[in-house]
Amino acid sequence: MADIAGIAIAGIAALAIGLALQGFGSGFGFGAATSEPQKVPFLGGGDPVSHAWQRYHARYYPMTLLFIAFEMEMMFMYPWAVVFLEEGMKAMVEMGMFLAILSVGILYGWREGVFRWQ
Amino acid sequence: MAVTGASWLAASAPAPVYPAVGADGLAAVEALSLHPAVSLQASPRHASLLLVCGRIREADRPALRRLHDQLPHPRATLWWRTEPVPGFPAASCVGDDRADAVRAVWRRLATGALGSEADLLPDEPPAPWRGKGDHGQGGEGMTGGKPYGRPMAMTDEDCRDGLALDAYTARLGPFLPILPPGLRLELTIQGDAIQSARVPSPPYPQAGSDDPLRCIARLLPLLGLAGLAERFRRAAQGRAPDLGAPDLGALGRALRRSGALYAIPPGLGGFAGEDLRARLRRWWAQAEGADLRAPPGEGCLADLLPGLEWSEAMLVANSFEPEILMRLCRAGPGDGDGS
Repeated sequence: MADIAGIAIAGIAALAIGLALQGFGSGFGFGAATSEPQKVPFLGGGDPVSHAWQRYHARYYPMTLLFIAFEMEMMFMYPWAVVFLEEGMKAMVEMGMFLAILSVGILYGWREGVFRWQ
Repeated sequence: MAVTGASWLAASAPAPVYPAVGADGLAAVEALSLHPAVSLQASPRHASLLLVCGRIREADRPALRRLHDQLPHPRATLWWRTEPVPGFPAASCVGDDRADAVRAVWRRLATGALGSEADLLPDEPPAPWRGKGDHGQGGEGMTGGKPYGRPMAMTDEDCRDGLALDAYTARLGPFLPILPPGLRLELTIQGDAIQSARVPSPPYPQAGSDDPLRCIARLLPLLGLAGLAERFRRAAQGRAPDLGAPDLGALGRALRRSGALYAIPPGLGGFAGEDLRARLRRWWAQAEGADLRAPPGEGCLADLLPGLEWSEAMLVANSFEPEILMRLCRAGPGDGDGS
């Protein structure tokens, strides 16, 4: 019972503080309605010609790809090393398949120029 | 009570000013930036006072109105070295070049003695949603129709590595703080690379602003050296033209130690056989008293920008003496494209 009362008191207090802060903020004019001219993006007086919803290129992505390829390799190799002696050849083949799939990603990164020093 | 206390505190803070610089107004604004009672803001969102300094072209008046309405309330407009543009509310401060006047207006504005200026533009979206259905649905593409009256960005040829991405076109200026005052640029960018540039209007003439120390001070903030730029502005402010070569030893050491020269990519902004690094070196030599002149050359700013990344393009646009930049922008309509 005491738990529920505690939770209720904390809830009421949180609500009261939230509402009080909201009222305090509006007293300063925060959250006042923004006029339409203020919603225009700021370009030093200029205006945009096309819409800003657009696709752009995350140019670091080949590096991310390479990192994930090697990181996944290591993550799987530690538990694999533990069971390798028990499982023997079966584990060996499984790891070979896994590495083959991952190396496709590394080859793709190679083609994208991730190993080029610049 | 709390509100009164807050306005009193606000009034004692430096006056947040957004400068819109017109013809021959740059020197006054640069002098104002050194005053402790004033803090110049790079965005109208953070300012309460719009300072129009110098005569404004008639073509730039709509831009000034847009800027005025982007200042949050309470706001006021100050006019230096120019008459108020028709259509603006009755001016609260005209003519005076003094920082005290700015401070006085800010004090009255913050304490509520001076009322806030109303919007100049109608309270309606400048580019309303245009779709086929009631809620903008229908039409072609991801969103259908034209969201907010502007065409969606579409893939365009890439000038960098052949990966075609969306091109975004915007008109920047004439009062964008990162660009020389009055300069308008219509840029098409892909990510951060400039694909094509056009110069719809040149910067304002700035008589007597070719001082090499001031030129260096305009370039340094773009390299992240705003504090050093202020030292350069102070040095330029403090020396009289008839004193000859001033003692600039400490300033020169600070410039060398800052690594500003090495932060600029070599070969960037080549014009008349002189790249940006060489221009910075020449300015410093001129400041020390060497009798050097900018090499003569014809060119066009719009042809220098395509292919550069945004940060490089802004460095190039700020790396000319005002007089030379005007020549570069006047040379032609300037339709630089990626080719």
